[in-house]
Amino acid sequence: MKIGLEVHVALQTNTKLFCRCRNDAAEVNTAICPTCMGFPGSKPVLNGSALSIALGIAKALNCKTREKVSFIRKVYFYPDLPKSYQITQLDEPMGYDGGVEYGKRKVGIRRVQLEEDPARIIREEEYTLIDFNRSGVPLVEIVTEPEIVDPEDLRSFLFELESILYYLGIDIEKELKIDLNISLGRNRVEVKNVTGIRNLVDAARHEMERQKALLDSGKDVVAETRSYNEGKGVTEESREKESDEEYGYIYDPDLTEYSLTGVEFAKPLMAGKIAHDYAERYGANEDTLRELLMFNRDALRLLEHAKDRRSMKSIINAISLLRKYNGMEMDEDSFDQMAMLLEKGGYVGEETVKKLLSGGSIDINVEEVKVEDLDREILELINKNEGLIEEYEKNPKTFNFIVGEMMKKHKLNPRYIAERLGKLLEERRK
Amino acid sequence: MSSISEFYEKDRGEDYYNRLIEEIGGLNGKLNAFNAIGSISEGFPFSVKDNICVKGIETTASSKMLGSYVPPFNATVVERMLKKGFGFLGKTNMDEFGFGSFGLNCAKPARNPFNEKYVAGGSSSGAAVATSILKYHVAIAESTGGSISTPAAFCGVVGFTPTYGTISRYGLIDYANSLDKIGIMARSGDDAREVFDVVRGSDGNDATCTDPDYHDRNTGNIFVIDELTNGASEEVMREFSRLLDSLAGKGYRIERKSLKILEKAVASYYVIATAEASTNLAKYTGFKYGLKNDKFYQKYNDFFSDARENFGIEAKRRIAIGTFVRGASVKDRYYVKALKVRRLIINELAGILKDGFILNPVMPIKTPSIEEAESLDPLTSYKADMFTIPPNLCGFPHVSFTYAYPDGMPIGAQLTAGHFDDYALLGFLKEWESGFKYRFRYDIGAL
Ligand SMILES: [Zn+2]
Repeated sequence: MKIGLEVHVALQTNTKLFCRCRNDAAEVNTAICPTCMGFPGSKPVLNGSALSIALGIAKALNCKTREKVSFIRKVYFYPDLPKSYQITQLDEPMGYDGGVEYGKRKVGIRRVQLEEDPARIIREEEYTLIDFNRSGVPLVEIVTEPEIVDPEDLRSFLFELESILYYLGIDIEKELKIDLNISLGRNRVEVKNVTGIRNLVDAARHEMERQKALLDSGKDVVAETRSYNEGKGVTEESREKESDEEYGYIYDPDLTEYSLTGVEFAKPLMAGKIAHDYAERYGANEDTLRELLMFNRDALRLLEHAKDRRSMKSIINAISLLRKYNGMEMDEDSFDQMAMLLEKGGYVGEETVKKLLSGGSIDINVEEVKVEDLDREILELINKNEGLIEEYEKNPKTFNFIVGEMMKKHKLNPRYIAERLGKLLEERRK
Repeated sequence: MSSISEFYEKDRGEDYYNRLIEEIGGLNGKLNAFNAIGSISEGFPFSVKDNICVKGIETTASSKMLGSYVPPFNATVVERMLKKGFGFLGKTNMDEFGFGSFGLNCAKPARNPFNEKYVAGGSSSGAAVATSILKYHVAIAESTGGSISTPAAFCGVVGFTPTYGTISRYGLIDYANSLDKIGIMARSGDDAREVFDVVRGSDGNDATCTDPDYHDRNTGNIFVIDELTNGASEEVMREFSRLLDSLAGKGYRIERKSLKILEKAVASYYVIATAEASTNLAKYTGFKYGLKNDKFYQKYNDFFSDARENFGIEAKRRIAIGTFVRGASVKDRYYVKALKVRRLIINELAGILKDGFILNPVMPIKTPSIEEAESLDPLTSYKADMFTIPPNLCGFPHVSFTYAYPDGMPIGAQLTAGHFDDYALLGFLKEWESGFKYRFRYDIGAL
C-alpha cells in the first residue's frame, strides 16, 4: 500500500509569476495582459517574490536546494493553457530530496517546484468559458515519495503540511488542489485534482477499496488517471492525459538560470515540533498543545512569551479562553496578567477578556480563602439546604447551583470551587 | 555622415511622405516588399519585419494562422524607434514565421530588386528589398539562422545582426527564442550604428536582454575557416578570393584555419531551432487571435487540429521535426546533444574570435532564381545556411556586406566578431565603405 501526493499551493504574491498582472482580481478576465494570455511576441519575466516564497517552502520541507534553478516548457493542448505549454521546472527545481516529520512518521519529499497555473475553466451546460485571471498565478507543486500508508496517515501528513504552509504565511483557507497516486498492487493509479482534506481522505479510501476488490478477485489494477466524484463517493475513469513522451520538455529559452544565492526566504516554523518539545519539557498534553498551536500564530506568540513566567497549565488555560472569547490578538502583558490570575485560582470570564483587550487592567489580587474555610462554607450550604444531596444524586446539575452560590461570596475560579465540592461529596459518600 | 542626419538636413517639401508611399505602392505590386504600409507623416522612415509587433497594425509573420491579427502593444524596438522620432513606414514580407532562406515560404514571395526573376533571400526578404529600393530608410529585421545576412547579401544592403541579447525581443513573434536576434538592415554601417544605439539596451520585458560592456577590438587579423568555405561554388570562391586579396592589400593579416566541429553546426542548429519553434507554434490554436476557427461544436483536440491545418508546409515540417527531437525517448540523442554541441562550438569560436574576425561567403551559391530555389529539396535548402548558421547558433555579432557585382548582381560576405564586439564590426564597415561604393537599382524617396 503506497500513497504519494502532488500538492499544488497557490501563492498570494501581489502579481502573477511571469507578468505584472494583479494576482487577486475578483471580476473575471480583468487581470490579464499579452503575457498571461499567451499573445504572440509576449515574454515571461520571473516574479522574484514568488521565487523567494517557493524557496521558503522548499527549505521548510527540508529539501536540498541547488545554486541555480531553471524553467522548462511542458507542452500539451488544452483550452485553459494559453501558450499550449506550461512553464514549470524539471531538472533544476526549487528543492529536492526533503522530508516531513510528524509524530513518529516521516514522509519523503521528492521535489518542490515553481510553476504557473493555467486559466480557470467555467463549464456551463451549453458552453464553456475561460477566466484568464488565474492564468499565470504562481503555484508551488510539492511531490511526495509514495510513503503515506493509509487514509489516517494521509490526514496526519496533510495536517502537518498545512501547518507548515500556514506559518510560511500561505493562505490555507484557499483549499489545496491535490493529485493522489495510489497503488495496492503493481500498477499506479492517479486520482486527479481533489480539493480539500476531507475529500482527499475519502477519495483515498474509496480508491483503496476499489483496488483491493479488484486484486482480491484476481484481477489487475489498470495504470490510469481517475477523478473523484464527490457526490457518488467513487473514483471514475477520466480523460487520458499526455505522456512524458508527448510533453517534450525543453528549457524555456525566454528565462535564464536563476541563482538562489542571496535570495531571502521566510524562516520555517514547525508548530508540530514546538508542540512536541513543549509537551516533553513542561509535561503538558501534546494533543492539546497541537490543537492550540498548529494553525494559530497568536497562540504561539503568547505561549512563547509566557512559557517560563507562568505554569504551562495556566498558559494553556488562558489560550483556550482567548480562543473561546475571540481574544487571540491580546498583547503579551495583558496575557501575562490573565495567566497569573488563572494561576492563582482566580476567575476569568468573557468580561475579563474584554476588559484586557480594551486596554484595561484587572485585579490580580485574588482573595485569599483558606481551604478549610471554603470547605466549611460549602458544607454549611449543603446542610442548610436539606435534600440537596439527594437531589444531586438524581440531577448532577445541582452541582452548578452550589458553585454559583459560592461564587457570589468569593472571587474564585469556578473550577477550583467545583474541585473542592467534588472532594467533599466523595468524602461524604464514604 | 549617416543618411539619417543627411535626411533631416534636407528640405523635403510638403507631400514628401505621400509621394513616398505612392511610389512604394507602385513598386510593391512587383517586388512584394511590404505586407502592410502605415501612414507615415514625419521622421526618418523605418520598416519593421512582419514578425515584430506594431500596435494597431496587422502583424502576421506572413502566416495564415495570424491572418488579420492586430497586436495590442508595440515591440520594445518599435517603441524606442518611435520615441526617437523615426517614422513607421510599414511591415515587411518574410518567410512564414522566419522559416526559410529564400523568402519563398509565404503567400506572395518578395522579389530581388536587381532582377525580379531572382529571390530576395530569407527570411527577412521584405526588409532587404525595402532597404535596397528606398534611399532614406532603415529596416528592423530579425535573424535566427541567417535571416538577415542572406537577404542583405542578395539585395546588396548592409545586414547587421548584433550579439544575442543586446536588443530586446519583447514583441518579437518567436521562432527559436535562444537564437532569435533582432537586427538592422541599412544602406551603410553608419545608419546601422545610429539605429543600434537607439534600440539596444536592457528591457524589463525581456529577461535575456542585457547591457553589456561593449568592446571595439579590431586586431587586424581575419580568419578564414575551411568549414565555412568548403562546398561553396567555384564562382563564389573566385569572388571571395578577390575580396581576401583586397583586404590583404588594406593591411589585414589573412589566416586559414580548420574547425571540424563546425560540420555539426547545421544539425545542432536545426534541432534546437525546430525544438523551440514547435513549442512556440503550439499557441496557435485558432480561437484567441489571428485565424479564428468557428467550429466550436468540435471536441477541443479536433478543433485545434482543424485550425492548425492552416500552417504552411514548412511550418508543419518544422513542428513535426521539433516535436520529434524533444520527445522523451529520443531527447538525449537530439535536443540535449544539440545543446552540448552548441556549447562546444561557442567555446571553440570564442577562442578564435578573441584574436580576430572570421570572414566567409554568406552563401555557398550565388543568388538563385526563384525557379532554382523552388526546386531545392528541404535538406539542400537547410544546408544552404551552413555559412550563416555558426555565428547565429552561438549568438556572435555579424555583418553581411556587398563586395562585388558579378553579372550585375550583388554578392556578399559575412564578418563575425566575438560577443559584444558589435562596434568593431560597424567600424569595419565604415572602413570598407570608404573604399567601396554600394550600387542600387532604385532610390525611391531621394532628395
Ligand atoms: Zn498578465
